[in-house]
Amino acid sequence: MIELFMTVFSATFFVTVVRTSTPLLLSTLGGLVADLSGALNVALEGMMLVGCLTAVIVSVFAPWYIAVLAAIAAGALLGAVMAFFHLRLKADIILVGFAINIFAAGGTVFALTLATGGDKGTSINLPSKAIPALDLSFLGVIPGIGHTLVQFLSGHSILSWVAAFLVFAIWYFLYRTPWGLWLRGVGEYPAAPEAAGIPVNAIRAWSLLVSGGLAALGGAQLAMFNYVGFTRDMTAGRGFIALGAVLLGARHPVGALLAALLFGFFEALAVVLPGLFNWIPAELIRMIPFIVTVLALVLFSYRALRARQLRTLSKI
Amino acid sequence: MSMTTEAVLGRQARWANIRRETGRALAAAIIALGVAFVIILLTSKAPLEAFNVLLTAPISRPRTIGLWIDDVAKLTITGLAFSLVFQARQFSMGVQGQVYVGGLAAAYIALSPIGATWLGIPLGVFCAMIAGGFYGFLPGIAKAKLGANEIVSSLMLNYIAIELCNYLVRTQLVPPGSGVLTTNDFPATAVFPALVAGTRIDIGLIFAIVAVLAVWFALYRTAWGLKLRLVGHNAQFAEYSGIRSTVIMVSAMTVAGALGGLLGAMFVQGQSYGKLTILFEGGLAFEGILIAIVARSRPLAVPVVALFYGYLRQGAQLMNIRTDVPSEVIGVVTAIIILLVASSFSMPGRKFFARLLGRDTTPAAAMEAGK
Repeated sequence: MIELFMTVFSATFFVTVVRTSTPLLLSTLGGLVADLSGALNVALEGMMLVGCLTAVIVSVFAPWYIAVLAAIAAGALLGAVMAFFHLRLKADIILVGFAINIFAAGGTVFALTLATGGDKGTSINLPSKAIPALDLSFLGVIPGIGHTLVQFLSGHSILSWVAAFLVFAIWYFLYRTPWGLWLRGVGEYPAAPEAAGIPVNAIRAWSLLVSGGLAALGGAQLAMFNYVGFTRDMTAGRGFIALGAVLLGARHPVGALLAALLFGFFEALAVVLPGLFNWIPAELIRMIPFIVTVLALVLFSYRALRARQLRTLSKI
Repeated sequence: MSMTTEAVLGRQARWANIRRETGRALAAAIIALGVAFVIILLTSKAPLEAFNVLLTAPISRPRTIGLWIDDVAKLTITGLAFSLVFQARQFSMGVQGQVYVGGLAAAYIALSPIGATWLGIPLGVFCAMIAGGFYGFLPGIAKAKLGANEIVSSLMLNYIAIELCNYLVRTQLVPPGSGVLTTNDFPATAVFPALVAGTRIDIGLIFAIVAVLAVWFALYRTAWGLKLRLVGHNAQFAEYSGIRSTVIMVSAMTVAGALGGLLGAMFVQGQSYGKLTILFEGGLAFEGILIAIVARSRPLAVPVVALFYGYLRQGAQLMNIRTDVPSEVIGVVTAIIILLVASSFSMPGRKFFARLLGRDTTPAAAMEAGK
C-alpha cells in the first residue's frame, strides 16, 4: 500500500496522469462544444480513431505538426459530414454519430491495410513520428523550487500545453464573446436566437466541425505521444468516456478539465498497477476507467437530481 | 364481407409507405455498394473478381449458405433488441455487453453437470436471457431513477462485460494450465442441434423466428406495446395520459437485454462455436443498429433486412479470405446506408419523376421520413 502512495504522489505519476488525460481532455472539450450547441456528439470515438490514423500516416511523409494539422482537418471533415446529415438532411444526431463510429472502426482498418500493404493490426512497419515533449529544464536554475518545477512541468507533450490553453480559450470564447453566447443560446433554446436573427444551423454546424477537430487532435496525441503508431481500435472507448466526462464536468470547460483529469488519473493508475501488484488480474485493471466512468456518471446524476429536487422544494 | 372505406384507405396508405421505405432502403444500398465498388476499383489488383466474390460467394456452396443463414438469425436478434429500445426512443447501446454476459451464463450452465443433461439447452438459454436482461436493466434503472445518460452507461457496461468475459474465461472456465483462451467443447446435450446437417443452421434460427413474432405481438397487440410506442412517440404526452413512462422505458431496455442475452447463448451454444472463446461476438451486436434503422424498428421487417445485410456481410468475409480486399470495407457500406436511410434523403430523381407524372411531392411524406 505504501508503494502505491509513493507512486501516486511522485512526479513521474503526475507526468503519466497528464499524458493519459490529454487525449481525454481534448476530446471532452470537443464533446462540450457540440453539446452546448445542442448536438450530442456520440461520434467522438470514431473521430478520435480517424485522427489517430491520419496523424500516423501523414507523419510518415511530413513533419509532426503537419500530421497534427491533418488529423484536425480529418476530424473537422467528419464533423462536417455529421452537420450535413443532421442539419440539412434531418437525420437523428445519435444515429449519424454511430454511423460515423462504424465508418471509423472499419475505415481505419481498411486504410491501414492499404498503407501497410496488408497488415490489419498495427502500423508497426510505418516509420511514424512522435510529437516532441517540451523541455523546460532551464527552470532548474531557479533556486529552491527549480528542481521540483522541472520534474513536474518538463517533459509533457506540446499538445498537453495546447490542451490546457484550450480550456481557457474555450471558456473565454463561451462566456466572454458574443459568439459564445449565441452558441450557448442555440443549445439552450434555439427558438430565441432564431427569432433574433442568429443563424442557428450555421452555429451548430461550426460547433460540430470544431468538435470533430478537437476530438481528432486528442487522437493525434494518442497516436503520436502516448503511443507512437496506430493499432486497430486503439482509442478503446476513450471517446465514449469523454462523452461521460462532458456530462460529469457539468458542461463547463473547467469541469471538463477536472473530469478528464479524474479519468486520466484512473487510466494512469491502470498503467502503474501491474508493476506494483502483479496479483491483480490485468483484465480487472483494464476495467477500472470504465467502472469509474459509470460510477461517476451515476453519482453525478444523483447529485444533479437532488439539486433539482431541492430547487423545486424551495420554490414551493 | 365489405371493408369500410377507412380500412381500404388505411391499407393503401400502409402499402404505399412500405413501398416508399423499401425503395429508399434499396436506393441507399445501391449507392453504398456503388461507393464500395469505387473503393475496391481503386485499391484492389483484381477489383472485378473481388466484387464478384462479394456479391455471389455466399450462395455458392451449401456451407456458405449455412454461414449466411446463421448470421441472419443472429443479426435478426440484435436488430430486434435495437428496434425495441429505438421504438421507446431510448438509445441504449448495450447489446454487445448483454451478449457477453449472456454467453457467460450459458457457458457456466453448459460446463456444469446440468449441461450434460437434457436441461443443458433450455436452462442455458434461460439463464443467458436472465443475465442479459439484468445487464439491460442496469442502464435503464440508472436513467429512470437518476437521469444518467443511457448511451454512456450502456457503452461503458459493454467494455466491462468484455473484460469480465476475458477474466472469467482465463481464470475459471479454461482447464487450468492450458493457456488457451477457449473453454472445452460443451457436451453435445448443451449444443443447439443442427437443423440442416453439415451446416451451421441450428435451432437458433427457430429462436430468431419466435423472437420476431413475439416482439411483433408484444409491440402491436398488447397494452404494454401500445404504451411503449406512445412513450417513444411523445414521452410527455404519454405521461399526461397516465402512462408511467419510466416503467415502460426500463422494461423495454430489460426485454431488449434479454434478447441480447439470448444472442449470447446462440453464439456460444450454437453450431458455430459450441464453446466459449474470448471476443466471440466479433462486433456483430452493433450491426443491429443498421438492421433496426433500415427496418424502421418494425419487428416484421427486421428479418428481411437481416437477410440482405447478412448476405453482404458474409460476402465481405469471403472476399476477405479469397481476394486482397479486407472485409472491413463493409464498415463504409454500413455507415453510408445508415446515414442515407436515417436522413430525409429521397430517391434520386424522385421529385423529377413526380413532377413528370403531375403529382405533387408530398410534404407530409417528407416529414414522415425525417422523423
